Amino acid sequence: MAQAAIDPHEIHALARIMDELDYYQLLNLKPGASTAEIRRAFHSSSRSFHPDANRTLEEPLREQCERISKRITEAYCVLRDPRRRKAYDARLESGSSLRIQLAEARQSHEEQRKAERRGATAQGRQFHGKAEAALKRGDLAAAIQNMQMAMTFEANNAGFKAMLAELRERQKAGR
Amino acid sequence: MAEIAVGIDLGTSNTCVALMREGQVEVLPNAFGERTSASVVHFHEDGSVEVGNSAKAKVIHAPAQTVSSAKRLIGRYFFSEEVKKAQAIYAYEICEAPNHGVRIEVNGEEFSLPEISAMVLREMKQIAERHTGEKVTKAVITVPAYFNDNQRQATKDAGRIAGLEVLRILNEPTAAALAYGFGMGLNQRVAVYDLGGGTFDISVLEIGKDIFEVLATCGDTFLGGDDFDDRIIDLLADEFVGQYKINPRNDPFAFEKLKLAAENAKKQLSVDEEVRVTIDCVLNGPDGAPLGLERTITRAEFAVLVQDLIQRTFKVCDEALQQSDLTVRDLDGVIMVGGPTRLPVLREAVKHYFQQEPRVDVDPDEVVAMGAAIHAASLVGEAQDSMLLDVTPLDLRIGVAGGLAEPVIERNTPVPIEQTRTFTTFRDHQESVEIRVYQGDHRHAEKNTLLGQFEFSGYQKGLRSDVKIDVTFEIDADGIVNVTATDQATGQQASTQITLSSGLGEEEIQQMIQQDVAGRVATAGVQTPAPGDGPAALPAPPPPAPPKSVFAPAAERESLFGTGDQDLAGAAGDELELDAEGDTDLDLLDDEELIQLTEESTSGPLDIGAADDDGFFDTSGDDLSGPEIELTDEEIV
Ligand SMILES: Nc1ncnc2c1ncn2[C@@H]1O[C@H](COP(=O)(O)OP(=O)(O)OP(=O)(O)O)[C@@H](O)[C@H]1O
Ligand SMILES: [Mg+2]
Repeated sequence: MAQAAIDPHEIHALARIMDELDYYQLLNLKPGASTAEIRRAFHSSSRSFHPDANRTLEEPLREQCERISKRITEAYCVLRDPRRRKAYDARLESGSSLRIQLAEARQSHEEQRKAERRGATAQGRQFHGKAEAALKRGDLAAAIQNMQMAMTFEANNAGFKAMLAELRERQKAGR
Repeated sequence: MAEIAVGIDLGTSNTCVALMREGQVEVLPNAFGERTSASVVHFHEDGSVEVGNSAKAKVIHAPAQTVSSAKRLIGRYFFSEEVKKAQAIYAYEICEAPNHGVRIEVNGEEFSLPEISAMVLREMKQIAERHTGEKVTKAVITVPAYFNDNQRQATKDAGRIAGLEVLRILNEPTAAALAYGFGMGLNQRVAVYDLGGGTFDISVLEIGKDIFEVLATCGDTFLGGDDFDDRIIDLLADEFVGQYKINPRNDPFAFEKLKLAAENAKKQLSVDEEVRVTIDCVLNGPDGAPLGLERTITRAEFAVLVQDLIQRTFKVCDEALQQSDLTVRDLDGVIMVGGPTRLPVLREAVKHYFQQEPRVDVDPDEVVAMGAAIHAASLVGEAQDSMLLDVTPLDLRIGVAGGLAEPVIERNTPVPIEQTRTFTTFRDHQESVEIRVYQGDHRHAEKNTLLGQFEFSGYQKGLRSDVKIDVTFEIDADGIVNVTATDQATGQQASTQITLSSGLGEEEIQQMIQQDVAGRVATAGVQTPAPGDGPAALPAPPPPAPPKSVFAPAAERESLFGTGDQDLAGAAGDELELDAEGDTDLDLLDDEELIQLTEESTSGPLDIGAADDDGFFDTSGDDLSGPEIELTDEEIV
């Protein structure tokens, strides 16, 4: 690895346009790429840009390589993880940004799920909240009634359905 | 001319140096023909220093002048558990340095841990120079995969103090995998089970033709073969107490004897079914008569003594497999590394756990140094390329309100990587913010390791909603962390950079290099080539980082780590000031408030900084929750 692994012009060019590429473009992948393809792309990009492959490069080329390498890792971490990838794809679609920070990508998925569990309509959320409060006091019957009310506003909320089913199970078991 | 770059396995107990030339990896023996040298430094009265197995032998007669297991202490804080434990075990003086650092005092002189390790490294450098007849200035040095940033940085400092350019800090299991799979054209998933003297690491890797990708690594820096010795020491000491009603643990000389006997007995059990421990004189009794000890230990008895230690390693293995989304059935091979690997009881247990025969074909004492040598050669173009794609072993976190630490880069994320989060101040017109960086897997800041902290005030002050500070966290390929804060405000490019370090400032390190602290190491009867024989002496060290110390004065640190009543649990709901300076003071939120805070801010769009707790910082971004209906106390029933 005494010699640079890649043409300096290419490093230069990529460092310049890197911020305008999405992760798929950066890794040279099609949007629907499989996990195996993603991994292969990560390996082959790393061969070119990993700091170990460019130890003897002059500045600023060496520093540019390192920047690219770090972005490649970021892209790999997002795309190889189905949950992160989903959050990222949604972001691409909305056109808001070409990057997503790892901790965010993880959170945003959980956020969505949590939000869904709490309800999509104001009324749904209100009754769900009351059900939770009732549950905390150990008042199972009130919890069930509140969830039934919540369901009248959000009949298709899977989280609500599951919660109501579970409450009914518990009620049955308690008898 | 070909560049010489060696690989050094700087172990807790033993250190090994190897070199790859013309496609061959060679372990370089020391002047006595030994292929590994004890990582022990003995200080003579005249100030000269001896390193290796002969130094180790001196411990019986001069325990206070003989420093062993420095690796257990390097990069640690004085108040850490490990340092307390070492103080109980070792006879040499361990004292506190400014900024909660650790120093070793011998014959009235103080040494930092990187200096002690530098002496061991200098010995390796000399061994290599003796072999090649040339100056050796470049090395790859290995560390346990589970080492944190402080420990890695301190090890790198040790290399520089020894006069080496450290090409790479490499994880030991990764090095072992490289030695095992280099140039073999494999396509395998393997686990590397590395139990050394003081640390345990498990790494799961995917080995391709020329690519070694670490899928996950887990470890325990408090677990090793020495702990096996401790169990035998206890057995012997109890026996002695039973016979003579005198506790040999209180006498450093007696304790060293028990320790040596225990380690020898353990090693003997790798060969024999049972071993008879005989010590003629553990110590002299009240009447001056020598009190001896005899005890037979069988393999079966030993197995019971260490069973829980072995089981602890498998807990860690479970975690590594889970993190890499694999089960033992997915593994094509298991590589065992480290001295204790020779114990039949351990091999059996490993075989049982992984449901396959572990590979022990490369010498477990040498395989790590060999891997390091291969990578060193590849880095200077002396060997075909080997691409090592490694991961960071610990969550990297930033301190936020309520004594919490928010993860920014999760453990087992590949490196190098960089992540940027955007924060705002906690209050309007706040003068400065305090950035604290941690490694570890705890939500509560104080349960993690503090890597460093700095105050940032170079931003445009304003309403908290207007201030946007980007904090960039970077982990390089050595696993070393760097954090930068930048003000987003247009045109204003204020930024502060810190290099989180072992506590040795750049100036101190430069001074040690200049004074050639490690130069006291003189190998018996060995001539090192005069400078000028080989290629030019040391390369110029990298430009000194801004010497801004990241470690607060002791007084401030008290409040960070200090007394139990700063424990979150004990303080829930109380108003407690986290910071000594008053400027960024915060009230502690009790846990319930925190949970609500998180939930409230979590339903929003994906914008940067969506869901952080309020903090010294607060993630910027809009108030994310939609209009909420106030819940009344009444129930609808
Ligand atoms: N034949 C043997 N049987 C059992 N244990 C042994 C044998 N030889 C060495 N050991 C033990 O192995 C340990 C040292 O292992 P090793 O040399 O692999 O550690 P190290 O590389 O110095 O430490 P680390 O990797 O934790 O920094 C010591 O506890 C030693 O007693
Ligand atoms: Mg080792």
